[in-house]
Amino acid sequence: MSTNLSKLARRHGLNHLLFKRLGEIKKTKGGISPSDIRKLADEFLVGTATVFGTAAAYDFLRPEEETPAAYVCTGSACLTAGTQPGVKAQLAKSLGGPIGDMVCLGRCHENRAFHFNGHNYSGADIEHLADILNGSYSERNDDYPVYSEGPKVLTDVPLDIDTCYKELKEALQHTPEALLEELTRSNVRGRGGAGFPMHIKLQSVKDIDASEKYIVCNADEGDPGAFSDRYLLEKQPYSVLLGMAITGYITGAKEGAVYVRAEYPHALRVIGAAIEAFNNLPSIPTAVGEAFSYRLYLVPAQGAYICGEETALLNSIEGQRPEVRTRPPFPTVSGLFGQPTIVNNVETLACVPYIIREGGDRFASIGTDKSKGTKLVSLDGFFNAPGLYEVPMGFSFGELVYEMAGGFRTHVKAVQVGGPLCGIIPEHKIKDLTVDFESFKENGFLLGHAGVMCIPGDYPMISFMQHLFAFTAHESCGKCFPCRIGAQRGAELLLKAIDEPGYKIDRELLDDLIETLELGSLCGLGGGVPLPLKNILTYFGDEIAGYMVSNR
Amino acid sequence: MTQNPNIAYINNQPHAFVEGETILEFAKRVTGDDDFIPTLCDAPGLETYGACRVCSVEVANAPDAPGRVVASCHTLVSRGQHITTHSGKIRKLRKNIIELVLTDHPLECLVCEVNGNCELQTVAAKTGITEVRYPIGKTHNHLEKDLSHPYMTSDLSKCILCYRCVRACDEIQGQFVLSAKGRGFDTQIIKGMDQSFFDSDCVSCGACAQACPTSAISDVFQSKSIANRGEVTRTICTYCGVGCNLEVHTQDNTILSIRAPYDAEVNAGHTCLKGRYAFSFYDHPDRIRHPLIKKNGVFQRVSWEEAYDFIAEKLQYIKATYGPDAIGGVSSSRCTNEENYLMQKFMRAVVGTNNIDGCARVCHAPTAYAMQQTFGTGAATNSVADLEHTSCILVVGANPVEAHPVTGAKIKQRMMKGVPSIVIDPRSTTLAKYATYHLQLRPGTNVALMNMMMYFIITEGWADMDFVQRRCEGYEMFVEQLKQLDVDEMERVTGVPQALVREAAKCYATADAAMSFHGLGVTEHYQGSYGVMQIADLAMLTGNIGKRGAGVNPLRGQNNVQGAADMGVQPHQGAGYLDVTHPEIQQKYHQFYGVPVPQHVGLKIPEMIDAAFDERLKAMWIIGEDVVQTDPNTQHIIRSLEKLDLLIVQELFMTETARYADVILPGASFLEKEGTFTNGERRIQRVNKVVEPVGEAKADGQIIIDMMNKMGYQQPGPYRADVMLEEISRIVPFFAGVTWKRLSTNGLQWPVAEDGTDTKILHSTEFKRGLGRLLYHDYEDSPEVTTHAEKFPYILTTNRVLEHYNCGAMTRRTGNEQIVGEDLLLIHPEDAAKNGIKDGAFVCVESPRGKVDIKAHITTDVNPGVLSSTFHFPDIMINNITGDVADKETMCPEYKVVSVRIRKSRKLVERGVR
Repeated sequence: MSTNLSKLARRHGLNHLLFKRLGEIKKTKGGISPSDIRKLADEFLVGTATVFGTAAAYDFLRPEEETPAAYVCTGSACLTAGTQPGVKAQLAKSLGGPIGDMVCLGRCHENRAFHFNGHNYSGADIEHLADILNGSYSERNDDYPVYSEGPKVLTDVPLDIDTCYKELKEALQHTPEALLEELTRSNVRGRGGAGFPMHIKLQSVKDIDASEKYIVCNADEGDPGAFSDRYLLEKQPYSVLLGMAITGYITGAKEGAVYVRAEYPHALRVIGAAIEAFNNLPSIPTAVGEAFSYRLYLVPAQGAYICGEETALLNSIEGQRPEVRTRPPFPTVSGLFGQPTIVNNVETLACVPYIIREGGDRFASIGTDKSKGTKLVSLDGFFNAPGLYEVPMGFSFGELVYEMAGGFRTHVKAVQVGGPLCGIIPEHKIKDLTVDFESFKENGFLLGHAGVMCIPGDYPMISFMQHLFAFTAHESCGKCFPCRIGAQRGAELLLKAIDEPGYKIDRELLDDLIETLELGSLCGLGGGVPLPLKNILTYFGDEIAGYMVSNR
Repeated sequence: MTQNPNIAYINNQPHAFVEGETILEFAKRVTGDDDFIPTLCDAPGLETYGACRVCSVEVANAPDAPGRVVASCHTLVSRGQHITTHSGKIRKLRKNIIELVLTDHPLECLVCEVNGNCELQTVAAKTGITEVRYPIGKTHNHLEKDLSHPYMTSDLSKCILCYRCVRACDEIQGQFVLSAKGRGFDTQIIKGMDQSFFDSDCVSCGACAQACPTSAISDVFQSKSIANRGEVTRTICTYCGVGCNLEVHTQDNTILSIRAPYDAEVNAGHTCLKGRYAFSFYDHPDRIRHPLIKKNGVFQRVSWEEAYDFIAEKLQYIKATYGPDAIGGVSSSRCTNEENYLMQKFMRAVVGTNNIDGCARVCHAPTAYAMQQTFGTGAATNSVADLEHTSCILVVGANPVEAHPVTGAKIKQRMMKGVPSIVIDPRSTTLAKYATYHLQLRPGTNVALMNMMMYFIITEGWADMDFVQRRCEGYEMFVEQLKQLDVDEMERVTGVPQALVREAAKCYATADAAMSFHGLGVTEHYQGSYGVMQIADLAMLTGNIGKRGAGVNPLRGQNNVQGAADMGVQPHQGAGYLDVTHPEIQQKYHQFYGVPVPQHVGLKIPEMIDAAFDERLKAMWIIGEDVVQTDPNTQHIIRSLEKLDLLIVQELFMTETARYADVILPGASFLEKEGTFTNGERRIQRVNKVVEPVGEAKADGQIIIDMMNKMGYQQPGPYRADVMLEEISRIVPFFAGVTWKRLSTNGLQWPVAEDGTDTKILHSTEFKRGLGRLLYHDYEDSPEVTTHAEKFPYILTTNRVLEHYNCGAMTRRTGNEQIVGEDLLLIHPEDAAKNGIKDGAFVCVESPRGKVDIKAHITTDVNPGVLSSTFHFPDIMINNITGDVADKETMCPEYKVVSVRIRKSRKLVERGVR
């Protein structure tokens, strides 16, 4: 994080972003040349190293690398299903050239997927590859069922631009204070994983007197196993935008950015069109006199999981390398371009229209004492009824898994809920949990964004541990020492144990490594991956014992 | 309420903390030990980064409560917090992190440049690590060294990715040459677009090398290898008026390398490539090592005695025959205060003439004059450190990023962080690119432009009338004249839209505190002095004098040009700026020097040259000034010097001027003598001798003392800084409290009271002259343009590049020459196309005085019709074409406006390196 680069980016603001320019150049020219880099450096008053370094941090911008002909999904759900090597081989055979990896395309409900020429395809579409190549087969509509139990906060009939405008107009007849009061009463907590009360952030930004403030929607849901944000972006885009606009009105922010993963091309198109429609709305008179006009910007991401971490995301928008910032200052004090900023996840923002429409008390009446409202849960293709579920917080996880979703279609020994940095729950513990922050925490797991991804009975846990390290190593921003080096060494240790007969991991060393990551890491990537690793060591100790040696 | 609420505990010991302090800062402060908590990514002068995590500590709310591990560098201290810095858990964590670092680091310490001076080594040793348990995995050990650059080197196999280099390049130099590529374990430091140092935009300031905790980035001098050998001498850089402190490492009378001390108030660990790396001139084979006398047209080595006798005899003869005013002296701003004081004393007390002048004549004489007229003191009113407190920066006719790099970098840092700023310059300089407003005027129209600014300030009511009424005089007449201004006409003259000027004027006038910097782009003009007066007017009209973050701050060119004037190196004022025509003053000097002093004003340098041409001046003694290469109209200078009966040149090298000497005296470089330099913010700093002078060279002060005694004046020797300062402090009023001892590490800013109290800000409660004087002047076209524009339609303006210093006698004899090896002509693409000139091709540039062939560099940094070049290289000799117009008040030459015409040259050589 560079203060200078933040402040230089601020000169252009969201209207003109180095990061977006890089994406456009890569898209139109297929690559980024030294003369492009020199021009961008001059234009943005930064160094060529700044531009090169930024581009070289993203999977899809690397200036020196050939763009792969296609990508296969390497998310956890596809991985454990074991489907991808076949898809990759078929793509390579038909297309030639290197086939890249993408994590993850959000088609976990099918457990196999690939990306070609700006479109995502479900794994079954590989059978139509010839037609895809000749253009006669378009992106398959990946319909998945959406179920709900109880009040529909997020999965009700979607808003369109007119209803969105109408609701916004109604909301703005109240003062920002009154609206904030509703959010406070609702006690809605962040759905991105941390569960931080939204109203506290809003109050903090509202209280600061600043010329510019921003609302940033974190739509970089990169956790394999979750497609709830993709659902909201594609099917409920106006709820998300309305949530941002109301949040902007409350805090005094006049601009907002929606940062959307590149791995969701369809979501990008849908939310992009919605943003355009939204920006064309007339300004609206408000309860506080001054008419409200709010401008939204779409920022397409370029393939770096770490950008789901809010400060890396802010650096990314600013055209800096997506590295995690130290806190304090928190984004609410010094966020985008060094200005007070709200960063909230898609699902959190999408809750706002309901709260404003129905009242904070109504929202708070759903859920548990501490976890309010509903939660979207995405279930992968190992379930008999895969799809997206909206349940009230506190809903029995066992009931969801075994009754609503009909259990598993094959033997599953564990599920990972909330992404690769959240807990691994052995099958027998599922029934003990309820879908809320506290229940998961108390049992030694994390709710995260509640994407559920299965580990089938025949999938070796040692391989899953290796996958967790390898994923962390690949996605580490490279800033803090424990994560940058530790994840790599962890992946190497595990791989050696798997590949080299006779080699056993020094258990004390592995424990030290896990502890170093947990205590020493700067953010929740290096700091988070120890939880599932420790869950495996706890619950599947017998399975992996043969790979370990203890010298203690 | 508790009695002392801001208490936190470090290892159970209570300490008071400062609100907003991090645990790391807290621990450093209260223990007085910078390494009490180990860290690898934290470094002096850099923002918190939080990468290495080695600084982790445990914090708890109560002595026995379970601790939480946090990184101390970015965790704030809170009330009642219990911080445990070395618990078992923490020790283990640090050791485990270092173990990970060592898995990707070549363990070849014994043959490493930084062995014994490596922060990784030190921290690793402290953790007690004895083995690396991980099997061998992926590493960066295969990365090759980058030895492409004359100074900078890298060996990224040693890199621990603390980003200190990247941050230093960003946060100190502001150049963004370094970043990283890749992600995670594959992250790797890059220069430019993953290029070599040489091919990147690196400006070789060396901040990265100094910041690097290992040997991953270093320099060809292996500046980090010397921690445990040789000696270290602290001194002051000779290259510009910033006055950077240097730490020079030597062994056996040889300089090994130079670093910048972190505790220097002026430069805090920073300096430019000239200060840090361009020292190899000092023992260059070209150094003049013995006195030389020209016999039958050939220089012959002579003894000091013979040289002294020869000079004494000739001077005595000329003085007796033609009078003392037939002798002139040019002292050097590269020399110390003590030496400048001695030289003017020699001319006045020994020869008996006021014909003493210095290089300020060709640079900041207009500043000294104009600021004396308006404020009463010809020196910067504030300190560079005030940049941290200003809310508007105005830079007029100065390119400090190149010419005053450390100050330039500081200004750039403030501009990047969004401080509103205005640059008035014909060229799109680096600062112009970063400024809020760039007023890109036609060269020579500063006065028109600043009159426009003041017009808007007055007519829009943005003036600080309270300040004006309390502190200034002449307002009524000033305003009356200003209100007559034809703004439309001035817009036409300057070429700058008046709306933009109005906005910039508002920005300056309405800021809480606005600070101006100016350079030779103001002074080296027909109306140079008036331009400076306007900068003073702007400050007075808006109340920007006498407070922090404000003021008028000339960027003094040479390292001691301020000091030379302070010491009396000017024909109208003696030591301490006292008027030489004033009988009381004459009496004072008479008493002090023990001899009568001359009573009328002496000759300025251009007058000396003209007097030599007219054969009224018979002898000149020039110290460290290459007038042939650097003064305008070279051929006229040469013809004049050739007419002298005696030309004494005291020099380091055989400069273009030295070739015309009758006697050459080998002086000492700044590295070979002691004394004091006064920087551009009036800071008197100690220069310490680092090595012995080469050959028979002597400290310039010693040479002058020898000559004084030879000529019959009793000046006690040998030359010693402390002794000389004692003498100076008795005659220069604002040096009253200056002693060698008191100057200590960071010097003192004059005026220094008898008790040693120094002064950061001048004119705080009243101006030196009582009331500030507002002076209005109408814009007038330069005679250069009115006379020659028809035949010579282009305007050439001369300037400097970072890599070279003035005539280049020193920098051309260092590695800098490999970075920039020639003068170039900056030309706008339209003009180049019009004249069929390609980038890198030779252009013939012709003025009424002559012509030169110079290679073109096509750039939009200059406007059409404007050309720009430097004068660092004698093979181009750009001053062959510069003119005779000078500032009306001080005779400072108008280097900045030269009427020329251009055509494709017949020379057909493509441009080589940059």
